[in-house]
Amino acid sequence: MSVLYIALPIAILLGAGGLIACLYCIKDGQYDDLDSPSVRMLIDDEPVQQAAESDADAPEAKL
Amino acid sequence: MNAPASRPDLASTADQAELDPSSGKERSTARELPCVHCGLPTPCDGACNPKQVFCCGGCRQAYQLIHGWGLDQFYSLRDQTSGSSENLSLASLSSRNRYEVFDDDLFLGRSKPVEFGQGQLKTSLSLSGLHCAACVWLIENIAKRTAGWTSARVNMSRHTIEIIFAPQQIKLSQIADLIGQLGYTAFPLTDQPVGAFAAENRRLLMRIAVAGFLAANAMWIAIALYAGDASWVAADHRSLLRLFGTGLGLASVLGPGRVFFVGALASLRTRTPHMDLPVALGLLVGSVVGGYNAFVGVGEVYFDSLSMLVFLLLIGRWVQFRQQHRAANAIELLLRITPQHARRIESQQPGDGSAASESNDPAQASGDGRMVTVDSLQTGQAVRVLVGESIPVDGSVLAGQSMVDRSLLTGESVPVAVGAGDEVTAGTVNLTSPIDVQVSAVGMESRIGQVMQTVERALGKRTPIVQLADRIGGVFVVAVTSLAVVTFAYWLRSGLDQATANATSLLIVACPCALALATPLAIAITLGRAAKRKVLIRDGGVLQQLSRPGVVWFDKTGTLTEGRPKAKQIAGPEEALFIATALERSCCHPIADAIIQAAQQAAATRSESQAIDSYVCQNVALAVGGVSGEVQQIDEAGDSIRCWDAKIGNQPFVSAHANPIDVPMQRAVERCVDDGATPILLAVDGQIVAVFGVADRLKRDASQTVESLRALGWQVGILSGDHPSTVQLIANQAGVPKSMAFGAMTPEEKLAVVTSASSPSDESRDDSESRLNPADLDPAIVRGTTVMIGDGANDAAALAAADVGIAVRGGAEVSLQSAPVFVASSRLHCVPELIQASKSANRLIATTFAVSLSYNMIAAGLAMSGMITPLVAAVLMPISSVSVLSLSLIWPTFGKETR
Repeated sequence: MSVLYIALPIAILLGAGGLIACLYCIKDGQYDDLDSPSVRMLIDDEPVQQAAESDADAPEAKL
Repeated sequence: MNAPASRPDLASTADQAELDPSSGKERSTARELPCVHCGLPTPCDGACNPKQVFCCGGCRQAYQLIHGWGLDQFYSLRDQTSGSSENLSLASLSSRNRYEVFDDDLFLGRSKPVEFGQGQLKTSLSLSGLHCAACVWLIENIAKRTAGWTSARVNMSRHTIEIIFAPQQIKLSQIADLIGQLGYTAFPLTDQPVGAFAAENRRLLMRIAVAGFLAANAMWIAIALYAGDASWVAADHRSLLRLFGTGLGLASVLGPGRVFFVGALASLRTRTPHMDLPVALGLLVGSVVGGYNAFVGVGEVYFDSLSMLVFLLLIGRWVQFRQQHRAANAIELLLRITPQHARRIESQQPGDGSAASESNDPAQASGDGRMVTVDSLQTGQAVRVLVGESIPVDGSVLAGQSMVDRSLLTGESVPVAVGAGDEVTAGTVNLTSPIDVQVSAVGMESRIGQVMQTVERALGKRTPIVQLADRIGGVFVVAVTSLAVVTFAYWLRSGLDQATANATSLLIVACPCALALATPLAIAITLGRAAKRKVLIRDGGVLQQLSRPGVVWFDKTGTLTEGRPKAKQIAGPEEALFIATALERSCCHPIADAIIQAAQQAAATRSESQAIDSYVCQNVALAVGGVSGEVQQIDEAGDSIRCWDAKIGNQPFVSAHANPIDVPMQRAVERCVDDGATPILLAVDGQIVAVFGVADRLKRDASQTVESLRALGWQVGILSGDHPSTVQLIANQAGVPKSMAFGAMTPEEKLAVVTSASSPSDESRDDSESRLNPADLDPAIVRGTTVMIGDGANDAAALAAADVGIAVRGGAEVSLQSAPVFVASSRLHCVPELIQASKSANRLIATTFAVSLSYNMIAAGLAMSGMITPLVAAVLMPISSVSVLSLSLIWPTFGKETR
């Protein structure tokens, strides 16, 4: 069981790695908006082709 | 994909019914269909297509835009219809170039675009008018379909939009214009609040992350230790685990847990018992005893419990912070009382003759100055304020004569005349002609800024129920500490070890973390659920007050009624409407807007939209009760065809300036009054030729709301500045008893009624002053909570004075400043729902309080009698927090979810 002497610090170090990643995300602003992403996922993605098409013809219409 | 633009006869049938002078009363038989875009009921007859009903030009335009892009899915996605294009119709149609300022860096201030690589620019703007998922979807999709507009990211909680665009293909002004056409308003970011919130939010989250990491690791180490205690573990492994656990726990207490010690120290310094104090004491004793035990190698180390405690408490704090801020944030956006931009002009030196004579009359002076952010203005500079704009700064008038609406500050709705040298204050509205103002105070130093600071301070105040929890906590900490001492002394007979163990387990188990969590959590959850229903609560204390029935006073205009008057022509030739429009163009008044809108609809019907524009008005004079001026009809070359001397206004005004009214017109006026509408008369060359009825309809859910309020045991009344007969009519329709509907109330009288009900001791004093004798009211009312629901500037004082002021959408911003509750949807029914929810929330608070308190009592009793070892105490402690947490989360605050 002396593996515990190695495993325990490693486990904590791994956890600390995750913590650092999390802190980086928070600092980066990924947690600033907790409302829109939950809403955005309800929105269907459009087929890529169609989006490209409408990009090409619809746009300037109203400008 | 045939855009409805190609059908000019679109709403013709509906409009004819609206305008036909002979159809008088039959109009009520015509159908009403919701406007496709905003859902406002719009009159139309059986023949029209329900898919193409529009209440105004703005809605039609927005619909065409959305439809033309093939984005009709918007209408199925959105979860509520609301008049997002309310202010759009006139403002954006008439002045296309009002967005040009978006290309000026000085205007953008903090929103100045920055380089984003590949020649693209990136910027953030504030956005108002966001409601739900559909809005996000619509805006982000339109970005995809616009050349040069690379991406849009809408942030719903902060109401901002991040735009990336290619400046060579599209200008920011064009993007702002597109957003504007959809009925949202983009404006540059204002200063701190948003940034401060983000920073605080990040700090709290980082603390939670650290605490969570430490707590989780301490937990699994603890599990290993407990398992080892139960079976067997090698002594060196045990001490290793204890060492690591102690390290993690200490890190948690000293790191993220430091805030509790800071709070406890502050509460000691100010001598106000605070929940942080017992928490800090618990942490301290736990750490010291645990650290000692870890050092000597015997007894319990409490670090798993301590780190868990820190973690849970931090989460509770964050939830509360976020909910409160979400409400405050949304209000802040609507609270934009003073304009953020000003037209800066080169100020002339006093005494510099040539410059002064040139710009003495700002109405004639060329150019409207440069749009700059208000923050960049300095004392002594000059700004120009056009008609209908809010004055952005405190200062003195340099040049120009005008009338100023000061209702925002004083609540007085009668405009005040100002001339050169007079003082004007930020937030007041310039009504009649442009003026130049020399800046004396800006932003926070201005009078309105100081008022806003007071409000901010009030926001930071703790609610009474939280204070109660803090007080109990304060008593609790003293009690627990003395009990711990007693326990220690009592058990000392059985040895030091036993005494320490029992005293420690008492401190651990009695640590009031559930108590500290219960109330703020219940309030935060209720506020959050209310916000989901578009009811924003600024102050959790209202929940307590709303749970006691009392009396609800409604304002009439805009609260019980739609608040958007509709004009219809009762009598007179059709041309009268266009003459009236030419006159009314020059004033900013809801009735004028109603007449202009009626004329636009009429013009659209006849596909002769130029008809309106061919009537122009000169020498306009605004007076109390009406407008007069010379109206000319011009042909396409601009030559005058005909000319009239016209006056429009209410009956007293027009009668005073025209020949006596003839019989048909008198009949029309009577018919109008019977209908509950206000008659507006038009006189041309001294002869009254036309009558318009302007009426404001009852909201659809008004009577239902009144009914449910009464069912909940509340008295319902109306306080209105309008004519008593109109008020009685509305009261009748809404189901409010006649004895509780009061018309012709001045703001002071409204205030007197509200305060006499809120504080019965003032009764005698009010008797003499108010027409309403408070003694007439049921004494039961006077004892209960007084709620005022309103939105006009006239209600500001009453909203603030009532126990609970509820501001409803569309009202003057000043109401929002004085009212702790803001209903952001036009549904009146939110009010009884809120009242029920606050009852429920109070029951929740009482229950969680009772649960955590009795838990602590029982556990403390057991610990004192030595029946709980510190180990059991450490296991029991988080259970109480968890029970409070889950109780709060599953509590049906708003009854059954209706969505």
